[in-house]
Amino acid sequence: MAIPFDSNGIVSMKDYASEVQCTWCDGCGNYGIWTALRSALVEMKIQPWEILLCYDVGCHGNMADKIGGYRAHGLHGRVIPFAAGAKIANPKVPVIAVGGDGASFSEGVSHLVHAVRSNYPITFILHNNANFGLTTGQASALTPRGQKMNTSPNGIPERTLPSMDFIFSLEPTFVARAFSGNIPQLTEVLKKAVAHRGFAFVDVLQACPSYNHFATHEYLLEKCYDVATINHDAKDVAKARALAVDTSGKIATGILYQNEDVPSFYEELKPRQGRETTPAEEVRLYDVSEYMKAFI
Amino acid sequence: MTRVVLKIVGASGQGINSIGEVLAKGLKRSGYCVFGYREYPSLIKGGHASYQIDVSDERVGSSERKAEVLVSLNHHGLQQNLRDLKDGGVLIHSTAGWKFTPEDEVLLKERKIRVVLLPVDAILQKLKAKPILANVLIAAFVWKVLAKDRNELKTFVGERFAKKKDLLELNMRCIDEGFDFSDPNVGDVSVALPPAQEQWKKQMLLTGSQAMGLGAVHAGVRFYAGYPMTPSSPLLSYIAELQNQTGMAIKQAEDEITAAQMVSGGMLMGARSLTATSGGGFDLMGETLSLNGILENPTVFVLAQRPGPGTGLPTWTAQADLLMAVHMAHGEFPRCVMAAGDGGDAFHLMAEAFNIAEEFQLSVIYLSDKHLGEALYTQAPYDQSGTALRRGKLVTDPAELSKLKSSDRYDPSVSEGVSKRWLPGTKAPVFCAQGDEHNGQGDSIEGAENALQQTEKRLRKMEALQKSLPEPELLGAQDPEILLVSWGSNKTLIEDLLRDPALEGKKVGFLHYAYLWPLKTGRLMALAEKAKRTVLIEVNHQGQLGQLIRMECGLAITDRILKYDGRPFYYDELRERIVTILTSDVPGTKTVASKSRSTRSR
Repeated sequence: MAIPFDSNGIVSMKDYASEVQCTWCDGCGNYGIWTALRSALVEMKIQPWEILLCYDVGCHGNMADKIGGYRAHGLHGRVIPFAAGAKIANPKVPVIAVGGDGASFSEGVSHLVHAVRSNYPITFILHNNANFGLTTGQASALTPRGQKMNTSPNGIPERTLPSMDFIFSLEPTFVARAFSGNIPQLTEVLKKAVAHRGFAFVDVLQACPSYNHFATHEYLLEKCYDVATINHDAKDVAKARALAVDTSGKIATGILYQNEDVPSFYEELKPRQGRETTPAEEVRLYDVSEYMKAFI
Repeated sequence: MTRVVLKIVGASGQGINSIGEVLAKGLKRSGYCVFGYREYPSLIKGGHASYQIDVSDERVGSSERKAEVLVSLNHHGLQQNLRDLKDGGVLIHSTAGWKFTPEDEVLLKERKIRVVLLPVDAILQKLKAKPILANVLIAAFVWKVLAKDRNELKTFVGERFAKKKDLLELNMRCIDEGFDFSDPNVGDVSVALPPAQEQWKKQMLLTGSQAMGLGAVHAGVRFYAGYPMTPSSPLLSYIAELQNQTGMAIKQAEDEITAAQMVSGGMLMGARSLTATSGGGFDLMGETLSLNGILENPTVFVLAQRPGPGTGLPTWTAQADLLMAVHMAHGEFPRCVMAAGDGGDAFHLMAEAFNIAEEFQLSVIYLSDKHLGEALYTQAPYDQSGTALRRGKLVTDPAELSKLKSSDRYDPSVSEGVSKRWLPGTKAPVFCAQGDEHNGQGDSIEGAENALQQTEKRLRKMEALQKSLPEPELLGAQDPEILLVSWGSNKTLIEDLLRDPALEGKKVGFLHYAYLWPLKTGRLMALAEKAKRTVLIEVNHQGQLGQLIRMECGLAITDRILKYDGRPFYYDELRERIVTILTSDVPGTKTVASKSRSTRSR
């Protein structure tokens, strides 16, 4: 179902402004993601009333009242099914779900698995700072092993979860990686993600100056490069997976993989095919006389 | 009431449901009120299961413990269910060469039970028919025992196979074989049914789950998300079965948390969305329930009860999750709890659940149980003209939308605590559906004064909701000397009992609670004060409704009839227990600190 963006009114950054002051630490990667997200929405000419932004609970979730648009700020780990349910109810509204690596790869990891598998037509922005920030720096599943963290003075006993290999094993239809310090590139990535047919997974590497002392802003700035510079073919899944997984040297960013041939979950729902209206628009009382006949 | 009970027993997967369905629907079509009740273990094949049909010319909504006709599809039933037969009953089985124990032989003789060996396998072999046709063959023989017309059954079965000519022919031959068979050792046996009544022929025969499903479709539910769990799954199955006709979006979610979150997202966008689960799944939904409390997001959860704790008795029944429904999840927030009592309620309460959820912007927990969900009710086609679509303060008109301010969404100053609500995607000032404590527009605010205002705003809805809910329905005597108090699926059973000679002339009234939270106690208090005896009837150990009543108004009901073995009350069982209480001298009801809560105007 095509999303009818209202392009008549001119949308500006002001429309997405909030009077609530930011509460992130100085140097937090969230500022970059926040700016790129607003820029992408403005450049796509999406009015604040046309979008739904859904936030998980974590440092990133404190963005919920620092930005315009209709927003929902729900439970830790559960943003994906909330956003998917909202999208199914009204597929005309673009829905962006935002979560951190703590929630998305621990408490809510099952939802991530089934979102990729279901190919819900939503965008998922992963704020990846490789730790639980809001609870003061505990190790997440993506924290490199051996790092001393709050509650793990000896480092964590578990191995680090290979997140990109994991995502690719689920046969995704859109995988991008970006760096919060490269706002122009992230803006372009987000625009493509929102326009994607199915589930768009956007892994944003970001600094956490308070608790992540290993992957700092400078480290990421040094390591990240844009795959556009190497003429990467985003249709080549094997190449994309290899690029995504190997971060030992440089880190590839940009659209790593995209497949527009797979229908979204909503498109696959037979009862919804050919309907112009959304489930939200169809709420009224229905006559069940026909169905009652089967019981007589 | 004249009641004839048919019981079919055998292994799960042996076809007892098919026989039961043919007989239940056939008899209803023929002019009888039918109540169906199934028992089965938590497995797919094997185990011991039963399908019981209580048949009457009058309204019947309960099961008796003993049957006039018992059909046993295996030797296990012959061992285990012999004592389920009434004196003079008929036992039909197909286990060739079966030898009863000497004790059983004595029992059969004493009770004058007639045993018929129906050679099912031999007949099917003769017809070159597949084993599945045993169902219609056995049903035909039972039909004959009930002295019903052969062609009536043929017409009914014929409709089912109208499009499959080859099968139709074979089915008709099976009916003839069933009718023509006579056990040479016993001769023709018959069990008399009362005269058929026209009024039942055009009624429906459906399960509580199907009634709830029809109710959901009628109420405008356009999105259903669920995770399979007995006894909520039949609702999911029925709604899924209808999807190509209704156009409803259906999602079988990865877990109950997902289902709860999805319907919450769906409701935020304005689509009536439903999920159903049982106790264990509802445990998982608790955090989402709390979230919807602070989001003021209207949601409806069906909680189909079964005995816990843990996995408990997965395929049996209980009313033991009432306190959970009322109290579950962290924080203080308003909610409504209701329970369906029969095939009518199951349908009509669904629209009401969504109306209340949207009018008061809160979660409604709709309780059912295994008994309600799987019992077969004879039910008049629903009168749909009385249903209203009430969406409360939902703003959809463009002119009204343009007048809104973002801070209207959670404006704490509104009367009754219900503020304006509008949907993401509509052209209006935006807000944040905020799970943190928040101000009017959903900005996270941690101030003390704001926390007071928002908490009070949300909980004011409870007072308004309580005023708007109806008092419990009083059935039977309107000036009762004996007052029975109950809820949920006990309703049809107690209604049957009100007409029983054992209780007739005793001025027995029955107060049925469909709305359980917030609890209305005014009518109860007035009636209990005048009644000689007040008796609480529940399918749980603690008398959970009794606990809520005492908590809310101080009335302690000490005459309690409770059951917690996974089975519903049977008709004759409950009658005995009521009579026992009525003939005992122990003083019943007493009031403890009854006036201390009167300021809350119940």
